[in-house]
Amino acid sequence: MNLLLYFGLAMRGLTANKMRTALTMLGIVIGVAVVILVVAIGEGASKSVTDSINSLGTNQLTIRPGRPTLRITAAAASGTAQALVVANRLNMADSNLIQKDFPTTIAALAPQARATVQISMGDKDANTSVMGTSPEYLYVNNATMRSGTMFSAYQNAGSVKVCVVGSTVVKEMDGSADSDMTGQAIMINHNRFTVLGVLTPKGAGAFGQDQDDVILIPIQTALRRVLNTQVLNLITVRCTTPGMMSLAQEQIASLLRNRHHIPPPYPQNDDFQITNQTEILERQQSVTGTMTTLLSAVAVISLIVGGIGIMNIMLVSVTERTREIGIRKAVGATPRDILSQFLIESALISFAGGVVGVLIGIVGTMALSSIAGWETVVDPLAAAVALIVSASVGIFFGLYPAQKAAALNPIDALSYE
Amino acid sequence: MFKVYIMGGQEVRALDGVDLDVFPGEYAAIMGPSGSGKSTLMHMIGCLNVPTSGSYKLDGIEVADMDEVELAHIRNQKIGFVFQGFNLLSRTTALENVMLPMVYGKVKDMEERATRALERVGLGDRLNHNPNELSGGQQQRVAIARAIATSPKLLLADEPTGNLSSMQSEEIMQIFRELNDEGSTIVMVTHEPDIAHHCKRVLTLRDGRMVDDELVTTRLDPKVEIARMTAEQNAPRAARVTPVSGVPA
Repeated sequence: MNLLLYFGLAMRGLTANKMRTALTMLGIVIGVAVVILVVAIGEGASKSVTDSINSLGTNQLTIRPGRPTLRITAAAASGTAQALVVANRLNMADSNLIQKDFPTTIAALAPQARATVQISMGDKDANTSVMGTSPEYLYVNNATMRSGTMFSAYQNAGSVKVCVVGSTVVKEMDGSADSDMTGQAIMINHNRFTVLGVLTPKGAGAFGQDQDDVILIPIQTALRRVLNTQVLNLITVRCTTPGMMSLAQEQIASLLRNRHHIPPPYPQNDDFQITNQTEILERQQSVTGTMTTLLSAVAVISLIVGGIGIMNIMLVSVTERTREIGIRKAVGATPRDILSQFLIESALISFAGGVVGVLIGIVGTMALSSIAGWETVVDPLAAAVALIVSASVGIFFGLYPAQKAAALNPIDALSYE
Repeated sequence: MFKVYIMGGQEVRALDGVDLDVFPGEYAAIMGPSGSGKSTLMHMIGCLNVPTSGSYKLDGIEVADMDEVELAHIRNQKIGFVFQGFNLLSRTTALENVMLPMVYGKVKDMEERATRALERVGLGDRLNHNPNELSGGQQQRVAIARAIATSPKLLLADEPTGNLSSMQSEEIMQIFRELNDEGSTIVMVTHEPDIAHHCKRVLTLRDGRMVDDELVTTRLDPKVEIARMTAEQNAPRAARVTPVSGVPA
């Protein structure tokens, strides 16, 4: 007997009791839809983290000043302990020394001093983040210019009032994010700056901040004319190779400890932090992955529950159709024929449930994306696996009822009322 | 042929040494009170079950030691069943019901053969009716069509008229008679002597043993019986009418 005929029989069996078939399918539908949804959300989250990693500089370390610390020093002469509150600082001297001392491990670095200031252009004004940095900023942070040029090392050293703007600033000042402001003047804290170029947009950062709402100005200009400080917020460092990162971290730490006269123990007493952003994001990604795995496990459990539902209904169906089985056997159906008929029936229920589940999952994912604004990625592999798994669930849980049907004694089956 | 069941720890000899030959072209009835073993014998002959000991040869093939799959094939190829309860698939048309054995037998021209079988039992105009749209007699005729569509060596009927009116029963007997006249071998289980007397041979079972085996000398003819019943149905109506018209005003 051919497969097509079994399918016909199974379809007939299923359509005879549509409500029951639909309810039986529901378990699988929910299971598969959840799998698709969870995987799509997980993939989306992981993709946005990956994008953030890519928008960071490669081989990048960041050095930040630590929190102000309370340092207890034992004054040898008086024998009393002296408490000292130290405001932790990073300055240009630190930055320059780091740059000069480790040419084998550090390719470039960009000191950064930033503050939120008021800017204006014509009748428009806004608050934005002004960042004083060096021309190496582009290289260290994987940034590029959309138009115009970065300020030069000379302009940097000479405290020239020039700037490079992010696309959000362009939009706020000029109405459109795409317009080129090169050559125009912008007022920063009542200082007139000439715009040299516009940065290529980077989008949202790993923590949702707008990376394009920024104005870059030469670090010396920032320290002397705008911020009136000697303190750096941040130094970003690009190492020569990924393998050099931990060595660079060690070298920078010991240099800073030496310069800042920090007593052991380390790193508890350090007045700075050196972090590997990529590492942090990778950790975040693995957390996302764990969540996805966990939720997928829940979805798989719901698939199993759906499968048990199928088994339950198929057992009822076999009992109900005992007489039909008897008739089929009496006219020459082999146990194999009966087994196939019921097995295909349960496989069809779960496969159809899988198809419906995938569709609902995809629609749900799109709805979630547009309503909650989450980035989602529907994984075709997940959909295919969900379909195969759901059909397998039907076969697995349909096997026992089908075997029961196939093993029925025709005489008993025929006399069953 | 022996068949022994163990029921509640007790040995029940459903068939206790039955020895029987049925030759091609025969038309035999198996009679006996309930519990005599006639159903068990029927199941053996129909290859739905195998004897505990002894031998059963169908069309020269030993069936007694066949497994389930071989039995299924034998039932499919060599035996046609007609049951008391018709045993048609519901929600399935007459044509599809008749095609059922051929579906399992992988017969090529099954639709054509099924149509011919249904025409043969006078249901050529009911091909696409479901069983619940047919009368009991018509349903039993569909069952007969299903049984004969595969041209089996043996047509087995288990109380084929048990659920039918006398008139419908005679119509079924008429079909059996014609089939037998055309050469079919028929074995029928019944407890109605009237039905048994349509056959050529009557076997009587009691307590798992064959106690009587006789040829029928005065066979009933379904055509005569149908004519008689039709007359009887009309007669009482006439008899009822007469007094009414005879009531004096």
